Amino acid sequence: MSDYLDLRQRAEETWNAWQRPGKTRIIYSSDTTSVGRGLADTVAALEQGIAARGLDVALQRVGSRGLHYMEPVVEVADAAGGHVLYGNVTANRVPALLSAVERGELARDLAVAVVSGPDVAGLPRLEDLPFWQGQVRRLMQFCGLIDPEVIDHYLAQAGYSGLARALQMTPEEVIKEMLDSGIWGRGGAAFPAGRKWDFLRTARGEPKYLICNADEGDPGAWVNRMLLECDPHVIIEGMLIAARATGATYGYIYVRDEYGLAVERMNMALAQARERGLLGENILGLGMTYDMEVFRGAGAYVCGDETGLLSSIDDDRGMPRIKPPFPAQAGVHNKPTNVNNVETYANAPLLFRNSVAWYREMGTERNSGTKMFSISGDIVRVGVVEVPFGVPMSTVLLGMGGGVPGGRALKAIQPGGPLSGVIPGSLVDLPLEPEAFRPHAVMMGGGGLTVASEDRCVLDLVKYFLIFCEDESCGRCTTCHGGSQRMVEIFERITSGQGKPSDIDTLQLLAQTLQWSNCAHGQLTPTAPLSAIRNFREELDAHIREKRCPARACPGLINYEVAAQGSGLAEAAAICPTGAVVQEGARYRIDDARCIRCDACREVAAPGVIQVTDRFLPVEVVAAPAR
Amino acid sequence: MRTQSTHDGPAFRRAVRELVAAFRPGGDDLLPALHKVHHEYGYIPRAAAEEVARQVGLPAARVWGAITFYSEFRTEPPADVTVGWCSGPACRLKGGDRVRRIFEVELGIGMGGKTVDNRAGLHMAQCNGQCELAPMVWLNGRERGNLSMADAVRIARELKAGKTGE
Ligand SMILES: Cc1cc2nc3c(=O)[nH]c(=O)nc-3n(C[C@H](O)[C@H](O)[C@H](O)COP(=O)(O)O)c2cc1C
Ligand code: FES
Repeated sequence: MSDYLDLRQRAEETWNAWQRPGKTRIIYSSDTTSVGRGLADTVAALEQGIAARGLDVALQRVGSRGLHYMEPVVEVADAAGGHVLYGNVTANRVPALLSAVERGELARDLAVAVVSGPDVAGLPRLEDLPFWQGQVRRLMQFCGLIDPEVIDHYLAQAGYSGLARALQMTPEEVIKEMLDSGIWGRGGAAFPAGRKWDFLRTARGEPKYLICNADEGDPGAWVNRMLLECDPHVIIEGMLIAARATGATYGYIYVRDEYGLAVERMNMALAQARERGLLGENILGLGMTYDMEVFRGAGAYVCGDETGLLSSIDDDRGMPRIKPPFPAQAGVHNKPTNVNNVETYANAPLLFRNSVAWYREMGTERNSGTKMFSISGDIVRVGVVEVPFGVPMSTVLLGMGGGVPGGRALKAIQPGGPLSGVIPGSLVDLPLEPEAFRPHAVMMGGGGLTVASEDRCVLDLVKYFLIFCEDESCGRCTTCHGGSQRMVEIFERITSGQGKPSDIDTLQLLAQTLQWSNCAHGQLTPTAPLSAIRNFREELDAHIREKRCPARACPGLINYEVAAQGSGLAEAAAICPTGAVVQEGARYRIDDARCIRCDACREVAAPGVIQVTDRFLPVEVVAAPAR
Repeated sequence: MRTQSTHDGPAFRRAVRELVAAFRPGGDDLLPALHKVHHEYGYIPRAAAEEVARQVGLPAARVWGAITFYSEFRTEPPADVTVGWCSGPACRLKGGDRVRRIFEVELGIGMGGKTVDNRAGLHMAQCNGQCELAPMVWLNGRERGNLSMADAVRIARELKAGKTGE
């Protein structure tokens, strides 16, 4: 224990010096989203401006708070304790910010909230922002507060004290605490983590391995990325606690190729942990030996399946294996292995730093604790939030997310990625718990929530998921690759006006066949089309029977027309990628054969000049035969 | 940029062997070795795949099978600018598929293709959670987000004209 206290003391010195440098701090939020929104230019402008003005300030980096809709976020903390958060600080706005800092004033136009210190008139406190209200930040408690590239920042927040405690417990006691907490796997199957750990503890064979599944392949989900980039040590600590419980001596963090910054930060975190004696032999002087590495994927969705992941590490294509044997019996290198999701492991340090009773204070009886969600699509505030299980989804999507922009109606919600489905916006009050979603033919999933407004076509979204599933099928089972291919073909037809009423039965038959696929990829591929049949039957019928896309999005069911010879048509003709906007004398028309329905012409012409119309004339719909 | 033809022959193979000398057979070294080659040459030349196979003790066919299994490994040299098109759901909802059609038509290539002058290539990319930027593309890894369709046309035309977009 004294090893830990020594580490902690050193860390606190570093942290205090960072936090109280005796001068103003300018703190920027750094993750993949802020980078995408111009962080590099912002930081360059800050460095240059600080030097040019001769400002005596400390420029510091932290992870993101999840406020992705206003990245890059920059915070200014003055020596007197005032701390204000600024949003959308792109490079061109840096001079205004620095001028204010120079004068010791607030940059009013960019200021979003008071983080701490005295109130500022007319500025809300961070916790009063709609995005913050209802959030309970446990997993994300340090996201945006500490520099993820400095282990001391984590240690100084009592980081690794959960490990220090677990190392003084027996493996059985650690597992009991996990079981009592009710923590279940966040990667999709919701299996109790403590039971899985016990499988590995009692498994025969040495050495034993741990794997952290950081493949996060569901498009629209980036909650794992948040932790990998903004608080890497909470994952390492969680895996160390699992190592204590299971006797594992080596681990892999399998990170998808797309997460370059996460790979970089995890590698840095591992090196620093090793340097402090938190990885390697005799960890914290308490006898345990454990080390691990980052393993980088190369772009394959099925490698997120735990057995695909094992194959990917074991020198091969990432083809999912047939279970049994389960990973606890024969995992990586054919040795006993435990696979958990990033967020699953990240819960363990919270539990061991506190207590079962504390852990269970949040969430519901069946689902204790909190869950992170990434919200995107047609939503005002895109970002990552954390809420207790059981909170109504509307709190997240309408409250924190601000609902659909521009007063449009909320048409559909897509929880859980390609292997889940689509539910109507009317279900926005569903409690965020897995059980609540199942009756609606979808899964809550790993944390992605994508929102579609009334002017989007749900079938187009479902078609995209089917194309995704077909493309990502590993190819082993004919049911999976052939079945998904057939489903794509049917959806291509339906969305281009060639649908047949019998398609619905065919889709259902295919869905039954896909159940016989080897892994969950094929088995769950039908979820999205089945959810459309169940939840969006009217829209499906409009496409099939009326040859009409109600959202006017499906390219095969719409036409572009010049509705009025108004302004902007010359620009429209110039922007059209196929020369489909044709000038005849003084008039313009659209050559339908060339038009690819990309909408560029309508965008540049004056409103109403170019219109989207239904391709097919209204038909009298013959009532479907009684079913 | 070196041309493809230099990525063969004894000298090249020696260089690859040196590059991957630390990797070992029988373990977990194939993907790390392939990443290293990919990073060095921008793609995985056939001769390099054979050398990696030798180094990690696998049949070349199995190594090639792994390379082609993963969508982020290229087996051809990249274009001057690779347009990574985000295929994700937020981008899709906001017109991502129309962005794809625009790039395909303007550049005259399909997804996965390259223009004959090697100026631009199209690559199907996956969502990495930058959905605030939807719809988006990455030009050699750099984000161009919140695209209007007219933006997409203009970017494609600039690439055709040989501008690198940086
Ligand atoms: C096609 C497919 C993709 C998957 N992708 C992921 C993923 O990206 N991340 C993840 O944690 N689990 C994923 N899973 C679930 C894993 O197989 C496994 O259940 C999970 O990693 C176990 O961790 P947990 O018990 O902590 O949830 C996927 C499953 C399938 C079938
Ligand atoms: S959908 Fe394109 S970045 Fe997420």
